[in-house]
Amino acid sequence: MDATALRQGLIASGYVPDEELVSVLWLARALERPLLVEGDAGVGKTSIAGAFARATGRRLVRLQCYEGLDLQQAVYEWNYSRQLLAIRLGETGAARPDEQQLFQRSFLLERPLLQAITSPEPCVLLIDELDRADEAFEAYLLEVLAEYQITVPEIGTLKAKTIPFVVLTSNGTRELSDALRRRCLYHFLDYPDLAREIAIVKATLPEASGRMVEDAVGFIHRLRREELQKIPGIAETLDWIRALHKLEWRALPEDPETVLRTLACVLKTKDDRWQVTAETVQRLRSAAFGVAP
Amino acid sequence: MTSSAAIESVAGFGRYLRGNGYPLGSGEQVALVEAALALTPANYRRLEPCWRSIVCTNRDQWQRYPELFRLYWRADAARGATRLSGAARRSRSLREAVEELHQSMAAGESPAAKAASGSFDAGAEARAETAAEGRAQGGASAVDPLEKRAIQEWRQEDLGKLLQIAEELARRIRRRLSRRVRIDDRGKALDIRRTLRRSLKYGGLPLAPAWQQRRRTLPRLFMLVDVSRSMELYAQLFLRVARAFCEVLGTRVFVFHTRLTEVTPLLKRASGRVQEKINAVTFGFGGGTRIAASLREFTAVHARAALTRRSIVMVCSDGYDTDPPEALRESLRAVVGRGARVYWLHPTRTTALSAALDQSRDFVTTFAPAHDLASLQKIPALIH
Repeated sequence: MDATALRQGLIASGYVPDEELVSVLWLARALERPLLVEGDAGVGKTSIAGAFARATGRRLVRLQCYEGLDLQQAVYEWNYSRQLLAIRLGETGAARPDEQQLFQRSFLLERPLLQAITSPEPCVLLIDELDRADEAFEAYLLEVLAEYQITVPEIGTLKAKTIPFVVLTSNGTRELSDALRRRCLYHFLDYPDLAREIAIVKATLPEASGRMVEDAVGFIHRLRREELQKIPGIAETLDWIRALHKLEWRALPEDPETVLRTLACVLKTKDDRWQVTAETVQRLRSAAFGVAP
Repeated sequence: MTSSAAIESVAGFGRYLRGNGYPLGSGEQVALVEAALALTPANYRRLEPCWRSIVCTNRDQWQRYPELFRLYWRADAARGATRLSGAARRSRSLREAVEELHQSMAAGESPAAKAASGSFDAGAEARAETAAEGRAQGGASAVDPLEKRAIQEWRQEDLGKLLQIAEELARRIRRRLSRRVRIDDRGKALDIRRTLRRSLKYGGLPLAPAWQQRRRTLPRLFMLVDVSRSMELYAQLFLRVARAFCEVLGTRVFVFHTRLTEVTPLLKRASGRVQEKINAVTFGFGGGTRIAASLREFTAVHARAALTRRSIVMVCSDGYDTDPPEALRESLRAVVGRGARVYWLHPTRTTALSAALDQSRDFVTTFAPAHDLASLQKIPALIH
């Protein structure tokens, strides 16, 4: 699949990428290198993996990182309950399993990393919000991402049958190590420009009024320039326009108070809600649409 | 252009990026060639974003890359802009380079292998870098304007003392406990969930209890060093302090002047040329100081997701700002609004008589002098 076909596939699966992202995804696939995507929350980092999986017909395996994530939840765990059951069955008359039998693959619970490594078909592995995981886990990932293999002491080293397409995302709450960064291709996903965001909204909500979409996205772009604690991402734009569509609006109303009442979809902290007043809405509307306040 | 010339051209681009603080090793150099070979020559324009993903490792590098790419590969288009190197250099064509690489591939050569073993060898690069020393770098002279000042004459043992200060600070702030817990065999509290989980393998008997204790995590430290003209005498000292803090505490270091840039990756590398590169980045700025704008950019862009109640921001500046005085107050309010504490280290014995600083006192936890080693040694006691 060349870059042009990949772009079409992504669009068909509901993701509107820019040319740069298409090139990077194509390269990551061609070189079989993991892709590290950084950017603010809500710009569409996680969606990249899902869209790529749909566009290439691969299975998506997702590992959500969090503080305290350990290997048992990320890689594998022995199914102790089944092992005990097998031992008890052996005690009641059936053939008693020996130790080797108890540590076979059938007693292994495969967690996302092992699932991706042992997948017979190439899959997409999404390691989401890696910055939330501990540094020890990040260090463990180095072997997995460099060699595409996982060592289970009781079984041995399991080498990937097919190389998964790996996407790692980070919100930048913690600096990732240089070692990890150097094993990955890097892409910084910024907020989309006006035209692309309109295209994204139209692709996701084709039933919404075209004028309202343009008004609302223009307004959001102005709003992002305000000093907000939580800058609204694409997800917030979509939520807001979905709400406006439910209200059966064909365009943004003139009355700033009316607009303000719907901004709960966009402003997600108390300070931001307090900072944006009817006057702010009026000013942003005027700036976005080039009319005098 | 022969294939060797094409590879040398790509290698030169790698050296050029390295000179601008990008962490390129031979692996990345080979990946540059592999990416060029993976693309058809007609699609050579896609190389710019592809190479960007290979050479960049953070947002700052990501943002600077397009300009560097343009200046290297489209030198003609950059006429009138600042020259990046004092060396005369023939014009390069990316299209030619890609076509030559493909032709040599078709002829049975393996440019990637050649790249790995030949043109990209460390010795050749070191020689090239040595040859480039003394020339202008990054739009500014690599010759340090502060070379003859007293701070430059610090002995090795003085630099060791800076590390001691950083270690002392690390000891003090490590005492702070987090509410989060972690598994620890020496912990005193029982982790019931994990104990039950572990007991599965013993048929439900809790033979392997899991213990936990509260985490001790370092607060996130940020250091913003003013390298404007008014700070010319002191910037070197603060950068040395910053380097020690970076090494011991993992502090993220930014320098600002009329704009802000992160220099943490440069400080992490223990090389004699690192200081020159920092100079090239920092002293290449204009002459004014925009503290408020730089702080605003720091809060809104670079540390937006990283500023929390456990963050410490150290601003090393004399406080003379060309932004309006109230702008600094607003910028500091934004930093403190995220929960961070701000410590202002000034290079004079007393706080400067600056209107901007006067209006911002409410948002600064402590003002502290940092004009010599003795005052620096008192800093760990002030920061809590």
